[in-house]
Amino acid sequence: MAHIECSGIVKSYGAHPVIDGLNLMIPDHEFVVFLGPSGCGKSTMLRMIAGLEEVTAGRISIGGADVTNRHPGQRGVAMVFQSYALYPHMTVADNITFGLRRAGVPGPEIDRRLGEVARMLGLEPMLNRKPKAMSGGQQQRVAMARAMIKTPKVFLFDEPLSNLDAKLREKLRTEIRKMHNSLKTTTIFVTHDQLEAMTIADRIVLMRAGAIEQQGTPDEIFDRPATRFVADFIGSPSMNFRLGRIERGAAVAGSVRIPLPPGRFAVAEGQEVELGLRPTRMERVSPGAEGAITGRVSLIENMGAEGQIIAEVDGADMSFVTRDFRGLSIGDPVSFALSPDHLHIFDRATGRSCLA
Amino acid sequence: MVPLILRILARLALGLLVLIALAPILWTALGAFKELRDIVTPVPKLFFTPTLDNFATILGNPTIRDGLVNSVLVVAASVGIGALLGIPAAHTLARHMRRRGDDIQFFVLSLRFMPPVAIAIPFIVIYLDLGIYDSLGGLILVYLVTTISTMIWLATPAFERVPPEIEEAAAMEGCSEAEVFWRISLPVAAPSLFGALVFTFVLVWNELLLALTLAAQNATLPVVAASITSLGKEVPWGVINAATVVLVLPPLFFIGLLMGLINSMIRSGGRTKG
Repeated sequence: MAHIECSGIVKSYGAHPVIDGLNLMIPDHEFVVFLGPSGCGKSTMLRMIAGLEEVTAGRISIGGADVTNRHPGQRGVAMVFQSYALYPHMTVADNITFGLRRAGVPGPEIDRRLGEVARMLGLEPMLNRKPKAMSGGQQQRVAMARAMIKTPKVFLFDEPLSNLDAKLREKLRTEIRKMHNSLKTTTIFVTHDQLEAMTIADRIVLMRAGAIEQQGTPDEIFDRPATRFVADFIGSPSMNFRLGRIERGAAVAGSVRIPLPPGRFAVAEGQEVELGLRPTRMERVSPGAEGAITGRVSLIENMGAEGQIIAEVDGADMSFVTRDFRGLSIGDPVSFALSPDHLHIFDRATGRSCLA
Repeated sequence: MVPLILRILARLALGLLVLIALAPILWTALGAFKELRDIVTPVPKLFFTPTLDNFATILGNPTIRDGLVNSVLVVAASVGIGALLGIPAAHTLARHMRRRGDDIQFFVLSLRFMPPVAIAIPFIVIYLDLGIYDSLGGLILVYLVTTISTMIWLATPAFERVPPEIEEAAAMEGCSEAEVFWRISLPVAAPSLFGALVFTFVLVWNELLLALTLAAQNATLPVVAASITSLGKEVPWGVINAATVVLVLPPLFFIGLLMGLINSMIRSGGRTKG
């Protein structure tokens, strides 16, 4: 177990830098998720920590030891790949124990540890099978067992659940988190799925175009997004945005007028801003209520316990989520309001949050 | 009921086609065990007293025996060295030369564009100067051009089909690049490499022109077989048939051997002792 320290990391292909001077500190035992859209450099970052990709400039240390130029096998890390990357010509047991056998660990010791991880991941009945004869979920379990049996200092997961169907993804996600709760090994998990990141992470590192856009706990990222990009990326359904301005202690955008809680925002009168309203932080209210937004229902998406209402407000769609959606039908007028502590305001020029 | 009949008909048609395809080979094999008068009868004979005389003639004839030995030596060496150099080269091309790989692949293929006739005569002169004319070493050397280039050409796609993540996973376990190649890439690509090996083997085993021009005393089997067929009107049909069988058997044997080897390689999965 170890903390990870990346300082001044640069990665370029030719003259074009994809990551430019990135600094990151991951404390011991933490479960960190690298989150971002495809091409943001999150996988490249992970692969550099793994040693599969060379670092153009900068330093990576794991557990205090500089590993920047070490072979992947000498860094004390284990990795789980999106495509499972099992050795197709070996049985499950051989796949899991390959590294230990290679390192010359004595046979009885290998058998003991194999039994342990196989029990933990429910792989006992299939130890003699070939990977080809297994489902994707089972294959990924084998890959996890192969990583675990080495008792590494750091686990690296590169989009491990992306090739699985939704139900299995959820199940394995829980298992990975439980595994971390019991082993407490420092873990980096790469994903482009914000829900996956929110549910599994101690801390999210949200990346964009080779730089860290924001890092923090899932709550911080969700409730205090530092930029418009983060606010847009996190949350499902995604945040509603409206161009507006600050007028007499309220944020105004067309017919939408939301009073500003005192001290929450650092904004000036007349400032050009962009308002962010989370659909899940809004609720139906009576038409005359303070801060009420009124529109016409244009679509209702039934999600079971809740429904997403898409309403036309000032000629543009605005969505919100409510439990009280069953009485509504398309074309009805509807009033809803944002709970005042959940308004987001972004500077129009920089895209940065105006939270004080 | 109707599908069953259709299936039986399809099987019969298939069987007939296979029989037509194999008939000449079977007839040759049969002819190898016949005496000359059983072969030249106007009415073909299916039942006859088999004889091993033809094979005795073949194997007792020093020219043919030497030809067989020479062929085995030359082909084994050129295919062996070709695989030894070509397969790692193909792996490197597939993994590290993505951008230039196509150009190199084309260059390698272009080595096969030139008709052998075009290089045969210059080669005679060069070989005479170097003093390796009519030597097995010289023949192996010229065959290496064929075997190495064919091996690279066919093995590169085989390695490209091995997912890079598998090799990376092995690297994460501490394997050096050589170890990754030997314990992961090679066994995974083995079934495709097998095809490449067989194809290369057949190419040089059947090669006639270069063997004919570059070797006189140390002739290979195709050269010897060709000389038997030019004996004139007194054709020893039985002997020719037997020679053909002898010529065909080693590749079959070789393929069988290789198949077993590769199967065991895949099954053991690079397992180490201990």
